[in-house]
Amino acid sequence: MPTDTHEPNLNPDLTKTYDAIVVGSGAAGGMAAHVLTSHGMQVLLLEAGKKLNIEKELKSMQWPYDHPRRGDMPPDSHALSLNEYNIRPLPYAKGSRYKHVYSYVQGWSGSDYSKNIVVDEKDNPYTGEKYAWVRARLLGGKTAIWGRLALRLSDYDFKAASRDGYGEDWPISYSDIEQYYDRVDNYLGISGMKEGLPQLPDSLFQRPNRFTSAEMMFRESLKSMGRVITPYRAGVTTDGLKHNRYRSKCFGRGACGRRSGGCDIHAAFDSPTGLIYPAMDTGNLTLRTNATVYQVDVDKNTGRASGVSFIDTETGKTYQAKGKAVVLGASTLESARLMLLSKSSQHPGGIGNSSGHVGHNFCEHIMGPGVTGLVKDQIGKAPTLDDGKPGGFYLPRFRNLKEKNKNFLRGYGFEGGAGSRMFPSHAFETPGYGKDFKKQVRDYSGAFIEMGGFGELLPRYDNYVDIDPNVKDRWGVPVLRMHIKFGENEKNMAKDMAEQAKEMFEHAGIQIIGVDENLLTPGWSIHELGTARMGNDPRKSVLNQFQQSHDVPNLLVVDGSSHVSASCQNPTWTIMALAWRSCDHLAEAMKKGEV
Amino acid sequence: MANGIDRRELIKIGVGAVVSTGVAGAVEAHKFFTDAEYTAVDELTEMMIPTDDHSPGAKAAKVVDYIDRVLGEAFEPEERNDFRAGLKPYVEATPEQREAMLKKASVLKPANRSMEAKFFRLLKEHTIKGYYTSSIGIHDDLQYKGNVYQTGEYAGFLPS
Repeated sequence: MPTDTHEPNLNPDLTKTYDAIVVGSGAAGGMAAHVLTSHGMQVLLLEAGKKLNIEKELKSMQWPYDHPRRGDMPPDSHALSLNEYNIRPLPYAKGSRYKHVYSYVQGWSGSDYSKNIVVDEKDNPYTGEKYAWVRARLLGGKTAIWGRLALRLSDYDFKAASRDGYGEDWPISYSDIEQYYDRVDNYLGISGMKEGLPQLPDSLFQRPNRFTSAEMMFRESLKSMGRVITPYRAGVTTDGLKHNRYRSKCFGRGACGRRSGGCDIHAAFDSPTGLIYPAMDTGNLTLRTNATVYQVDVDKNTGRASGVSFIDTETGKTYQAKGKAVVLGASTLESARLMLLSKSSQHPGGIGNSSGHVGHNFCEHIMGPGVTGLVKDQIGKAPTLDDGKPGGFYLPRFRNLKEKNKNFLRGYGFEGGAGSRMFPSHAFETPGYGKDFKKQVRDYSGAFIEMGGFGELLPRYDNYVDIDPNVKDRWGVPVLRMHIKFGENEKNMAKDMAEQAKEMFEHAGIQIIGVDENLLTPGWSIHELGTARMGNDPRKSVLNQFQQSHDVPNLLVVDGSSHVSASCQNPTWTIMALAWRSCDHLAEAMKKGEV
Repeated sequence: MANGIDRRELIKIGVGAVVSTGVAGAVEAHKFFTDAEYTAVDELTEMMIPTDDHSPGAKAAKVVDYIDRVLGEAFEPEERNDFRAGLKPYVEATPEQREAMLKKASVLKPANRSMEAKFFRLLKEHTIKGYYTSSIGIHDDLQYKGNVYQTGEYAGFLPS
């Protein structure tokens, strides 16, 4: 098996100075490793988690009855509930009697398959205001179980401030990043259908995922409202990738949608098989796992980054690695934490933080409002294969494009789907028991349709994270403290999301079963962004348009922390397109001796 | 596996998955229930989801074994205690009495905090989870078509 040759090196040469040190191995760090090694640079990639035998973890085709607990975690493990997030004091796992405490995603079905992928909240506490922080510490980070929706942003996002006067424009336009989106599409594979929408630019798509008959009906109905649902634009190779021998094409097995995510044939993009193994095959990449970076080291004379300090998560020993450049891709909140922890006489407020904006301008996607309905003519129909695909539909933003909504700025989109699933969760809500109950569960099993909104949280300086002066994680590293709240714009948007969701279903003749109006806890979307934003003005931003620190030219931050605003479109594809662009720029600049 | 999967292999996997019978029938001691409780729960789950002319019910799917295991392993002792307390009157009842008790409990409001209401909800939740994750529930009753390698035409419709 080719993957056997991609074991990490737990004892890498730390006497030499690498061309670049990349921190984090998810979408951002993986892309940085790929691009920099492709330029011939010698790269050390540091990942805080382990390399898991991911095929053994995921077992995508296992049936519930083949598992002793039908896919559930062991009983001494606990997933935090919405109620706990909103009521319990932080850190959430403190004082819990359970052996392991995980974030809410472990409350989904098949949680036993992802229990080693997400972090144990007991080891990784955080404090402050209520926040649902989902983290994955392993080679590949959250790409091991990501939701796969791979969307482009447009100038409605990059130039949003110019359009509505709120916040800051991005220092780039769509035309600056378009060719990098193209490269990501071609290198990693994306499934979808062209729609020609200005707010959601098309990608270079492989075979689109198909709709169920209820989804077809809903798409048809939306036409008279001037709206559209498009097949889930999935970061999944549906036709295969000739240049990548570690990834299979998608066979529509559907496990990625039934569980927290994950694909054991790697049709769904994950950073190890998509980016890191090919980078290792160049001979230019050294991979060190179990290495939690706790500080970016600084050259006392120049103030530039000289490397990083890390702790071995197994032995507790600390090490220093030297690099000509340091590239952070530890995730939006972890990269901010790392910068704030990296205090020195040259950078008293943390490295790259002369603006005071590191940790601030947090933004993400609000979630919660949505609708569930019943498509009556699907009741009692013979069962069909409805969930053999990486996702259902995406309903792109329609607010504040041409018109101006008087109640809120920006917009939202919906993710949804219809048809039968392996587990008929409507059984819990079906009244009664006995023969009638059993027949109703069966007859209705393919008749439900649902969708939930993802809305843009406006970036605010006051929504921020900082370092808790008192609390440390299992390895002694000070933890983050959350200061994140939703405001009036989000509340008004949420109201509109629920109303519009209901209206669109009613327009399609769908019987409304339930409408959710309440916002979920901040963090729920797992789309945290903005804590080290880009910009042209070093007083108001942390990074330039190439994700390069204004203060420290050989420090890049290539993850979602660089995003200036959240858009309402899922961020992973943009994270990778930007990282590609910035790492190309870094490699060229280093060749010219400019960095 | 990646690109090394050949078509015949895939068909084999697909077919094998659909005809797999799942739960093995080995007899072992109960993890939690007494014999009398076990028999009562076996009957109660069957009343919840009975065999009909479409498919076998909860008894055939051995839902009682699933519940026995879940309660036996449960982290919170309350989960065991609540179930056992609610079950007690049913253990001592005749089949006709059980039917009448279930019927009465089934119409209680969700907000009802009585032991009867609570037990009905627990029994129903566990039976649903156990039955619809069993081979009989997935394949015979719902006739679920997924969790297979699609190697020909993909299921569904292509919008235009």
